[in-house]
Order: sequence, then C-alpha cells, then structure tokens
Amino acid sequence: MSEQDEQALLVAERVFAGYVPGVDVLCGCGLLLGPRELVGVIGPNGAGKSTLVKAIFGLLRIRSGMVTFKGKDVTNLPAHTLVSRGIGYVPQRQNVFPTLTVEENLRMGTYLRPKEFSRRVATVEELFPVLAQRRAQKANSMSGGERQMLGMGRALMMEPEVLLLDEPSAGLSPRFQDQVFERVKEINASGVAILMVEQNARRCLQICHRGYVLDQGGNAYTGTGTELLHDDKVIELYLGTLARAR
Amino acid sequence: MRVPFVLATALTQGDAVPQGPGFLDRALQALVDGIQFGAIIAITAVGLSLIFGTTHLINFAHGELVTIGAVMAFFLNVGAGGPGWHLIPSAIVAIVIGALLGGLIERGLWRPLRNRGTGLINLFIITIGLSLLLRHVVLVFFGTRPQSYREYDIQQALDLGPVGITPRDLIIVVLSVLVLLGVAFMLQRTRIGTAIRALSSNPDLAEASGIDVDRVVLVVWMLGGGLAALGGVFFGLTEIITWDMGFRLLLLMFAGIILGGLGSAYGAMVGSFVIGIVAQMSSLWFPVDLQNAWALLALIVVLLIRPQGILGQRERVG
Repeated sequence: MSEQDEQALLVAERVFAGYVPGVDVLCGCGLLLGPRELVGVIGPNGAGKSTLVKAIFGLLRIRSGMVTFKGKDVTNLPAHTLVSRGIGYVPQRQNVFPTLTVEENLRMGTYLRPKEFSRRVATVEELFPVLAQRRAQKANSMSGGERQMLGMGRALMMEPEVLLLDEPSAGLSPRFQDQVFERVKEINASGVAILMVEQNARRCLQICHRGYVLDQGGNAYTGTGTELLHDDKVIELYLGTLARAR
Repeated sequence: MRVPFVLATALTQGDAVPQGPGFLDRALQALVDGIQFGAIIAITAVGLSLIFGTTHLINFAHGELVTIGAVMAFFLNVGAGGPGWHLIPSAIVAIVIGALLGGLIERGLWRPLRNRGTGLINLFIITIGLSLLLRHVVLVFFGTRPQSYREYDIQQALDLGPVGITPRDLIIVVLSVLVLLGVAFMLQRTRIGTAIRALSSNPDLAEASGIDVDRVVLVVWMLGGGLAALGGVFFGLTEIITWDMGFRLLLLMFAGIILGGLGSAYGAMVGSFVIGIVAQMSSLWFPVDLQNAWALLALIVVLLIRPQGILGQRERVG
C-alpha cells in the first residue's frame, strides 16, 4: 500500500466533509489515483459522489482527513491554486460559462497562463472538432452534449495531469453519452489521469481501470472495473438485476 | 433640483397638452437633458450591476459611494480646511478615494462575511445599515446645506440649433460616453474583463478555471467605487451637492439595471439611458416632481412586456 501511495498522483484519506454544520456527507471515505489511471466512483444517489470530488477540488471545506497531490498536502487549498498545480475539474451541471462565447470559455481555461492559449486551443479543438466550428457562438446556444465537450475542453486547456469529472453523462441522450465516454477514454489515453464520478455505473465501470463504490459517504467496495461489474453485491445494490442476466 | 430654462417656462405656462411650434424644440431639449441624466445614472449603475453580477449582492449603499465622491471633490475644491484645488484634480483624487473606499469595504466587510457563509438576504440588510451609516456620517461632516463646486457653476449655453447645452454638460456627456465605452472595452477585450464576465456567468466554474475570484471581486468593487465617485462629481456639477444626493439616485440606478436586464453591464447602461430620458421627457407633460415616478412606471411597463429586461437573455435549457 505504501509503495502504491508513493506512486499515486492523487490521494484522499479518511475525508469528512458536508454542507451543513454538524452533518457530514462524507464520513471517512478515501481513494487513490495513479498516473495515467482512469478511476470511476459509483454509488447510489446521495452517496456523496459529487461531494467527494468537490471536497478534493477545494470547493467544499474538508473537516478532517487529507488530500495529497504528487506527495504534497493540498487539503483545503482554493480551487484556483489546484488548477495551477495541474488539476482540472468539470462540474456536473453548469459546466460552461453560458454568456461567454466558445472561444472565451476556452480562454478562461488558460486564465492563469494566457500565453499558452493559441498553442493549447489547437490541441483541444483537434480533440473536439465541434468547438472549432462554433468558436464565436455563445455557450448558452449549445446542447447539453456540446456543453460537456466544451467543459472538458476548457479544463484541458491547462494541460492538467489529473482531470476530475463530475457525472459527465448526466442528462445526455444515449448517443451523446456514448460520445462522452469515448472522449474520456481518448483523453485518458493521451496521458491524463482521470477521476470520474458517474451515475451510469455500468458504462463507467466498462471503461475504467479501477472503481470505487461509495455508500453513505464511506467506501463500500473497491476493485478493478471488471471485478466490480461482476461482483454480486455491487450488481444487487447498484447495477440492477438486469446486469446479472449478462 | 435645477430645471432647464426651457422646461421651466413650459411648466409655468401650465400646458397640459403641449401645442404650438415650440413643442418639437422643447422635446429635443428634454431629450438632450435626458441623455445627460441617463449618462450619469449609467456611470453609477454599471458598477452596481457588476457588483450584483459577480457577487449577487444588492448593494443598497451604492448611492453613498456616489455622495462620498461628490462630497470629497467638494472638500478638495472649496471645503473649509481643504486644499482649495481646481475641480479637475479634486475630481481625480475623489475617484481614487472612491475606488479605495470600494476596495476597503469589500476587503474589510463583504469578503469576511462571504467567507463565513453569510446569506444574501443578511448581506442585503447589512448594505441598508451601511447606507444609513455612511449617509449620516456625510451629514455630520457636510451638513444639510446644498453646495456647488467653485468652477463651471454658471455657464452660457451653447446654441446648437433647436437645443441648448452648456459646455460643462456637453463635456459631461462626452466624458461619460467615453468612460462607458472604456468599461465596455475592458469587459469585452481584456483578460480581467472576460474574467469578470465569466464570474458573473458561472462563479463556481470561474474558480475551477483558475480565476482568483476574491481578486476579481476586489477589482469590481474598486471599479464600482471609482465610477460611483465620478458619477457623483458629474451629478453634483449638473445639479447640486447634497448629503443624500446618491440615495436619491439609487432607485433610478436600480431601475436602469433591472430595465436593461439584471446582471448585464450593457443592459445597465442602456436601461439607465432609457430611465434618464423618460424622466426628463415626462416633464414635457407632467410636473417635474413626478419625473422619477414616470421613469419607474416605464420600468414596470417594459418588464410586463419583456420580463427579462431589454438586454436580458433567456437561456437554452438542455
């Protein structure tokens, strides 16, 4: 475990956090993300999946526990500091700046390094060609799927080592969901470690190297994607009985 | 309130239904006065709108920033114990003081309260208290007597065909428009301006993109404070300096912001001009005391037809 810890890019340990004073949504959960790894977090509604990502990214105060990035303590650092250290984040809803154009959205991605814009925008537009076609268009005229692409594009502008995705497939049509998962795989293949929270548990586990099952703010199970896909308890609790038939 | 000469005669004649060849001229004159009044509202309202857009704080104390700007310039210009500078350097220093005051209030009050998670309604009530406090501090030092600046007080109007405007008022309009264009340029083309719009658009995502939200909000407050002070000097120049002048302007600023579309800085500019023009044009037909009421009526009518305001946008969902 300790050897794995040293290699890990991002580690969260025994995290306690919540929105209301005195009520913890996260009760001592933790996870580990290695370099170039694609890790999924699944769990029922209200398990604290999104909360965990927000806490790691400094958008929600951690009451106790620790988050380290590349071996350094980053617990409760403000989000903009984490961005400058190499962590990107795409929120679940409201993942774009609606009143800004596509180009301005991407420009805000390199807010901390404005000189990198022209170099990075070429790479990101290659990954998401739709963004190149819509540069001058306002983000609020785009569909949910396109917004998700723009949100990921914006986060990739800083060349992060770690990308945190909060339910990237939420609210999208099946066709766009497929596209999003494809892109997540591509981004990961290009060398970015990804921590993805998903309600679409089965699709998520199919592409992930490893997965965590969150329940009541604590870790319930962990294992490789395929292990969890075929674990009886996980099937019973989170994937639904349809999954067992396969 | 000083009423332009043409309007004053119109009123003393008591014309309920204006007739005769003079009406078009008077209407044009009222339009010019309205543009000038609108420009002053716009300069002050833009800051208020940006503060609302970035922090969702309804700053009831914004009028006092206007008053303090005007009173500071007055003190530096003709105040007892003041340096007795010319109005232009006095105004520049007043703008700097306004910007610093805006920054100080943000740093010392709003930021700590935000970080403690104080609710927006609570913050709103605090701005009302702050408004009352600042207004009465001004009252203690300035007194109730209306005052004027030493320079540019009485001027011969330039005769521009049907309308007359004093060089002072003309310069105020031109400067206001230039400042508004400058603000628009900053919002549209600069890095900090785009960050301000990004923050208004989606605060969490702004933070998640690496934008130091506290710093951007500080810039907005300093900009708002400086613009309010400038508007105060202009307002004091065209009318008169009083201890509650900003407070009287506040409702019109809110009206301009809401009319133009809440949260849009350009909307605030457009809305303010509409409010200023409606207020002045209404005095063609109605008593000048009622001009603000007509401006607010215009607000209600526009919102009934277009609830999101003139430049407010509806958003595609999904």
